[in-house]
Amino acid sequence: MATRNRTVVYRRHRDAVKSVRAPLFSSASGSGGPVIEMASLLGSNRSSYAPLSTEDPGPSSRDAFTVGLPPSWVDDSEQVAANIQRARAKMAELVKAHAKALMPSFEDGKEDQHLIEALTQEITDILRRSEKRLQKLSASGSAEDSNVRKNVQRSLATDLQNLSVDLRRKQSTYLKRLQQQKEGPDGVDLEMNLNGNKSRLEDDEFSDVGFNEQQTVKIKKGQQEREREINQVVQSVNELAQIMKDLSVLVIDQGTIVDRIDYNIQTVAVSVDEGLKQLQKAERTQKKGGMVRCATVLVIMCFIMLVLLILKEILF
Amino acid sequence: MVLVSAVRDYINRMLQDISGMKVLILDSHTVSVVSVGNSQSELLQKEVFLVELVDSISKSKESMSHLKAVYFLRPTSENIQHLRRQLASPRFGEYHLFFSNILKDTQIHNLADSDEQEVVQQIQEFYADFVAIDPYHFTLNMPSNHIYMLPAVVDTSNLPHFCDRVVDGIASIFLALKRRPIIRYQRTSDIAKRIAQETAVKAVYQQESGLFDFRRMEVSPLLLVIDRRDDPVAPLLNQWTYQAMVHELIGIQDNKVDLRNIGKLPKDQQEVVLSSEQDAFFKANMYENFGDIGKNIKRLVDEFQQISKSNQSIQTIEDMAKFVDNYPEYRKMHGNVSKHVTLVIEMSKIVEERKLMLVSQTEQELACNGGQVAAFEAVTNLLNNESISDIDRLLLVMLYALRYEKESPVQLMQLFNKLASWSAKYKPGLVQFVLKQAGVDKRTGDLFGNRDLLNIARNMARGLKGVENVYTQHQPLLFQTMESISKERLRDVDYPYVGNHFQQGRPQEVVIFIVGGTTYEESRSVALQNASNSGIRFILGGSVVLNSKRFLKDLEEAQRMARSSMAVV
Repeated sequence: MATRNRTVVYRRHRDAVKSVRAPLFSSASGSGGPVIEMASLLGSNRSSYAPLSTEDPGPSSRDAFTVGLPPSWVDDSEQVAANIQRARAKMAELVKAHAKALMPSFEDGKEDQHLIEALTQEITDILRRSEKRLQKLSASGSAEDSNVRKNVQRSLATDLQNLSVDLRRKQSTYLKRLQQQKEGPDGVDLEMNLNGNKSRLEDDEFSDVGFNEQQTVKIKKGQQEREREINQVVQSVNELAQIMKDLSVLVIDQGTIVDRIDYNIQTVAVSVDEGLKQLQKAERTQKKGGMVRCATVLVIMCFIMLVLLILKEILF
Repeated sequence: MVLVSAVRDYINRMLQDISGMKVLILDSHTVSVVSVGNSQSELLQKEVFLVELVDSISKSKESMSHLKAVYFLRPTSENIQHLRRQLASPRFGEYHLFFSNILKDTQIHNLADSDEQEVVQQIQEFYADFVAIDPYHFTLNMPSNHIYMLPAVVDTSNLPHFCDRVVDGIASIFLALKRRPIIRYQRTSDIAKRIAQETAVKAVYQQESGLFDFRRMEVSPLLLVIDRRDDPVAPLLNQWTYQAMVHELIGIQDNKVDLRNIGKLPKDQQEVVLSSEQDAFFKANMYENFGDIGKNIKRLVDEFQQISKSNQSIQTIEDMAKFVDNYPEYRKMHGNVSKHVTLVIEMSKIVEERKLMLVSQTEQELACNGGQVAAFEAVTNLLNNESISDIDRLLLVMLYALRYEKESPVQLMQLFNKLASWSAKYKPGLVQFVLKQAGVDKRTGDLFGNRDLLNIARNMARGLKGVENVYTQHQPLLFQTMESISKERLRDVDYPYVGNHFQQGRPQEVVIFIVGGTTYEESRSVALQNASNSGIRFILGGSVVLNSKRFLKDLEEAQRMARSSMAVV
């Protein structure tokens, strides 16, 4: 694809125009040399501020372009973006912890579990806090850049939603693998149990029951542990689902009319027009309002009564 | 892929080097250019948090200096004026200006004059001056399209604007593709000749030839400029393939369909997007005929019902987790299925109301084969049928007139009278205007296959063999043109070259520009030809995308202007 850069031509002409303009100012203000120098200095460094020109505010006030501070909601949005980055880093750590916990080990694996729980909790917290702050974003700020705010909100909401989906998916795969692992050893035990049953069927029946009881207790304890873990994961799944539901309101559906640039420009124009019409209508109804008419009538009546009173006094 | 990806690449390049929060400012033409290629969510990812039109943004005074402004405009004088005013009192921190076509030096000087605060960081020309609606189909969305029908003596002021805009659009296509073309045009059309010559002079060979100095390939691409009036039948016919049918019955603008006037629909179905880039079902079905679409949609709905049924039975935690996982995709599929079902339902209603199956059968007979007597009878019967709408009657008589212009004028007169008696709105004058513009004397191509013996024989063979589908038997004249180009049989007599540059061998890329507008039937032809891997890549473009309503409107406007100018003279 061909493109052509015209900036050089443009800059050359701009500088030429400026050098034509500066002498005009200098002749107008009458200070001569120093002003021309100052003007050209200001011309070359646009980003530097007005403080260069302490004298002769005439031409410099035209050139000085103070870069204003961005509104406060920009800080909020930047914080949310930073939170998202942190959450991403923590998710990478979580993946590593999951992998480590799934590896067969001789230890109990309790610390791994704690680590995983702690990480998951942290990430969910970050996501929830960011989501709350995002919701607050729409409340503050002026009306003019409300569109900008809304779009920033949308973009961050999409990122948050993707993160929470990612987290949930990782959790569910971990849980599935955990279940498979736990069932693995139990499955082997059950098999041995069955074999043991068959071989002991001819023997004492009591000892079978006893053996079964021992196995049952062990199975029950394993089941309880698993249940606890599953419950925890389920809880975090629920929390995340809640976050996703809230966020999905903010996120755009891709491929629909709402995702079209021209549609969004149109709706802005339409709503601005509508707002103007509503304002005008409100103004008119207020002017025509019964209150005003009532008040005028009463005031007139007061005057008439006053006049009558005075007349009464005079005549009688 | 070619055109859409070119536009997307331009936009991406514009935005990628500028960091921080941006606002994108477009004008009413570039908004279409950008909207068909990029979506709002893609812009958001590139930190473009506001998109505005250049004329509305000048109304506000609030300063947003934490934003950087990226302007993408056409280099017209109004846009330059807007820019000058905005540069004089800048609202944004930085200004990056991109223009969709070649800037004149005076325009650059004017901008430099107004830029006292030196907020402009760069000015570049990015040649995306066309609307890439499909991979091989572009349009220029020109407002006063009817001007091409008027001879130069009638309308002296608007014709240069029209030609300039077309030339700019064509030049930007070749700049985007980085090619310098050989240009041929249709001899019998004055406006095609003018546009071809102006393109050669202004853009390709003389004025900006430095810009077009690309690496020379062995075979240069071909630009063929032809006139809509050489094939007036294509826009008049009813269509039965998905994309063309939607445009004919409802109307597609920049890949958007507006259903608000059609009926009572839920809010999210009132305006829908039909884009082959974003919708896989549409991409697979856009060239299929109505019957097959019905089958495919039924299959889509069945799949969707399966999925939603499994979503209903949520019993375990795992099911719930899976549901939450798949919810975004489920929602997207739901939206897509509703969209296609709604479209097909509305179109079926219209087909039923206007008895289009009956009408279209006769139309296809008129366009493709059949004898004059049978045609006359069929048209008369339909004219007498009360449930046919006025516009369909007019279209039938027009098609008959175009086909049997010279054979039996008496019967033609009878049809005119019958038409006039039915509706005062559509006077037969319009049919006569069409004959004057696009009659058999004015046409170059063999529209009805009855000029040379080979074509007549081919038609007879086709008639004997029978057709697969009566409703889609018509093939636009463009198909024959493309075949001629492929076989290097495009006659120099009919389609001369501009200048002294001649084609050596078969071109590998051909851009066909139809002055007056293209139709979706023709773009389907082009897409199918490209898919057949013949070694040539065809690209089709026009000043607008026509359907029968738009074509009739252009005819009426042109007729009105011709009459008023004659009254003056």
